[in-house]
Amino acid sequence: MVEHLARLTTGVPGLDAILGGGFVEGASYIVQGSPGAGKTILSNQIAFSQAAGGHPVLYVTLLAETHDRLFQSLSTLSYFDNMALGDKIKYVSVFQCLRDEGLDSVVKLIREETQRQSAKLLVFDGLLNARDRAETELDVKTFVAAIQSQAAFVGCTVLFLTSTRLQESNPEHTMVDGVLDLSDELIGERAFRRLQVRKSRGSAALGGFHQFVINDDGVTVFPRLEAFLPAPSIHNPPSSARIQTGVSGFDQLTGGGLPEGSVTILMGPPGSGKTSLGLTFFSLASASQPALYFSFFETPERLLMQAAAFGLKIKPLISSGAAEIIWNPLTENIMDKLAHQLLDAVKLSGVRRLVIDGISGFERAAVTPGRLVEFFASLTNELRALNVTTIMTWEVRNLFGNAGTSPLPDISALLDNLIVIRTEKKDSTTKQLISVLKLRNSAFSPSDFELKFLASGLSIASVDESGTSQIEEG
Amino acid sequence: MALIVVVDDEFLLADYLASLLIDEGHEVVTAAHGRAGLQLIRERKPALLITDFMMPLMTGLELAQAIAADAELADIPIILVTGGQGLIARDHGDLFDEIFDKPYDQSLMIEAVKRLTAIPRNEG
Ligand SMILES: Nc1ncnc2c1ncn2[C@@H]1O[C@H](COP(=O)(O)OP(=O)(O)OP(=O)(O)O)[C@@H](O)[C@H]1O
Ligand SMILES: [Mg+2]
Repeated sequence: MVEHLARLTTGVPGLDAILGGGFVEGASYIVQGSPGAGKTILSNQIAFSQAAGGHPVLYVTLLAETHDRLFQSLSTLSYFDNMALGDKIKYVSVFQCLRDEGLDSVVKLIREETQRQSAKLLVFDGLLNARDRAETELDVKTFVAAIQSQAAFVGCTVLFLTSTRLQESNPEHTMVDGVLDLSDELIGERAFRRLQVRKSRGSAALGGFHQFVINDDGVTVFPRLEAFLPAPSIHNPPSSARIQTGVSGFDQLTGGGLPEGSVTILMGPPGSGKTSLGLTFFSLASASQPALYFSFFETPERLLMQAAAFGLKIKPLISSGAAEIIWNPLTENIMDKLAHQLLDAVKLSGVRRLVIDGISGFERAAVTPGRLVEFFASLTNELRALNVTTIMTWEVRNLFGNAGTSPLPDISALLDNLIVIRTEKKDSTTKQLISVLKLRNSAFSPSDFELKFLASGLSIASVDESGTSQIEEG
Repeated sequence: MALIVVVDDEFLLADYLASLLIDEGHEVVTAAHGRAGLQLIRERKPALLITDFMMPLMTGLELAQAIAADAELADIPIILVTGGQGLIARDHGDLFDEIFDKPYDQSLMIEAVKRLTAIPRNEG
């Protein structure tokens, strides 16, 4: 039987998942990162979360900065609780003790204080200073070993904070059970905060970089999606049911609509009707088929106006909770944050109809485009497993003629259905032509149809040789 | 001129307060935690104690309780300086002659020190 180690939960959104359930109780960790990387904000967040759960915390500093300066900066954060200070969380400085009596006395003081407090968590801020004080490498090693073993003895988890980047060969690095690396980097013009678990003894951590943000709620980490969901979270046998699109004529053409739980890419140039088609599909939301419109371009207000132009009544659906619009402007986004926000909303309302308008919203948010295929694979696999029927719009630049090859051919292989709209200009009139290029497990007509925008809604009509079209009646 | 014991684990604050009081003509001895502070008070019998709240080994509150329980020390006036634990401390208001929240106004501190060291000690 596999032993499961008792865990100390961090209270930091996303971090427990990365650590495989939290820190191992009684284990010790180094939290490292350059000044301003977020070590203090992160470890205080963990401390206040433990305190809120009734577990005593000892926060030991070796810094020149005073505690009230620290409290002042923490007081802007929502997790900071004045009432826990001196009660469940105790901040003590050992600077004088170190200066006057040396490392041995600090070790002794921490041992006594940990026991006095029955501390479950010990944070030691300023390991770098301890290093400066130690005469030899061995001294710091002895110091860390002593703190670590006395804490382990009473089941207290230890976090050593340091602003130097300890190399893997560093004695402290080899001794502790885990190393968390926080970094704040520039890629192009943008700043990115990333977290990496560089070492994790006794448990599997999600490897690689995970982006995080610091705001008034402290740290929120967004586990890298493909590491977080290497396989779908649940197993659902594929369904043979069909989900109506609401586009008149289209559902008849495709044997009842889109296959349930499939992912459709709707490709087309700007203004070709992708959003209108998405809104039509979205407007069929009901209590049994909740819908989500995940928008990057249009605001909810503009989407409602556009829908009203086709007689689609979406407002009552939103009021009743059957439909929801989430809008993320195309500013600086974090790809994994978007994906977690999307999946959380899908799970929360049991969404069955999903429109992502458009795919480039994710693409633009990618720091490293090389991972897009893996990212979309885990996102779409999860959506299929959750039995969500998804339409993702994909804007292509060339306005007229053939849509050509898709800009991300690797991704289109991950999709079930591919529908293309193109704009045709003939004798000063423009038409939108729609065709199905791929439809999962279905027979379909590969020919072009005209997409018509009527006050009564969208419909498709067949195009005959003469170029006139005939409304498809089902 | 009086002998004052300052107890604070944060050396910046202890050193700063000590030099402030020395400038006022007092003699100051410092300790880095409550337990060392108690020992110092037993040895030196100061005219005034100024202590921090949150400290290792013995908190300011525990220190004040130990002093109150010791007949030889019980009449030493105590000023508590806290960083956010004012509420807990004020629940034990009878133990302290003054409570200051950090950061405090130094002229008010000097005034309080003047007042408390001017009180003639009951030598009975
Ligand atoms: N309310 C807030 N919203 C957004 N960012 C914040 C907020 N408060 C602090 N920050 C950011 O958090 C960072 C400070 O983090 P923190 O003090 O934890 O760093 P640190 O790693 O402990 O640094 P040092 O090594 O200097 O102690 C700064 O970059 C600051 O911009
Ligand atoms: Mg810090």
